[in-house]
Amino acid sequence: MVQKNPQSWAKEVLVAVPTWLFYCFLSIFFFGVWGLVSKAAIDLISPFQGQILFSIGLLPLGIVTAMSKDIGTGNKFRGVSYGLLTGIFGSIGNVAFFEALSHGGRASTVVPVTAMYPLVTVIGALLLLREKLNWVQLCGVALALGALILFSL
Amino acid sequence: MATWMMYSLIVLVLWGLTGITQKLSTNHISVSLTFLTYAAAYAPVSALLLWKEPMNWRISALAWCLGILSGILNALGSLTIFAACRNGGKASVVTLLAALYPVLTIAMAVPLLHERIQLREIAAIVLAIAAAAALSYENKSFKLK
Repeated sequence: MVQKNPQSWAKEVLVAVPTWLFYCFLSIFFFGVWGLVSKAAIDLISPFQGQILFSIGLLPLGIVTAMSKDIGTGNKFRGVSYGLLTGIFGSIGNVAFFEALSHGGRASTVVPVTAMYPLVTVIGALLLLREKLNWVQLCGVALALGALILFSL
Repeated sequence: MATWMMYSLIVLVLWGLTGITQKLSTNHISVSLTFLTYAAAYAPVSALLLWKEPMNWRISALAWCLGILSGILNALGSLTIFAACRNGGKASVVTLLAALYPVLTIAMAVPLLHERIQLREIAAIVLAIAAAAALSYENKSFKLK
């Protein structure tokens, strides 16, 4: 039996992983570290200050992406409109989150409620984007929502 | 309905909708342009916040670094989500998978911030790992040779 070395095995795994999934794991890494940095910052800055500094932090990557070669490709009007909506929804959502906490909402209730936002995405994707999920993925949806509830309690 | 609940539901809907709009955006334009427009949209909202409540800029250097670093990391996280959507990832799956990031935060918080992990969090991590495996499953299974 031919034994594979770890390098060739690792290469096979990387080739086998779909590109979108690779980027998902990368996003989990960046958001995971972001969560850690946020925990460290929470005693030093107010949520409002955090939101302003966070917006400043978007600038470096914004400058880099503005110089990207593929910046001008595609159906710009629609794409740009949806991109702007993503930012508007995200930023207003952040503000509303802090408003919920400052209008009497306890973190122990606000955080679990708002952590269910992927459910809105799933329902929207199934209805509006006509996405189809296989039964294994549907089980994954249920498991993920359970995990999100437990994380946010 | 209590005011805080109304705001919470607004958050739920708006954050949930970002999962749809980011997919729609990357269907039409590049990841770079999607990110640029996403980031640009933060500017007017931040300007409105600053106008409503001027910020106290006298914070420690560490606070500055952590605040800006959180923005950079969130930007990188958002960029990779856009890339996942652009490369064939479904909005429903990508958004859910990315939302499971607390697994990593907790795993790092234990050794780095000396936090204690609770049983509830262990259960959440187990569920999250199972969820990630299930969500990643596609009918065209990827097999090692």
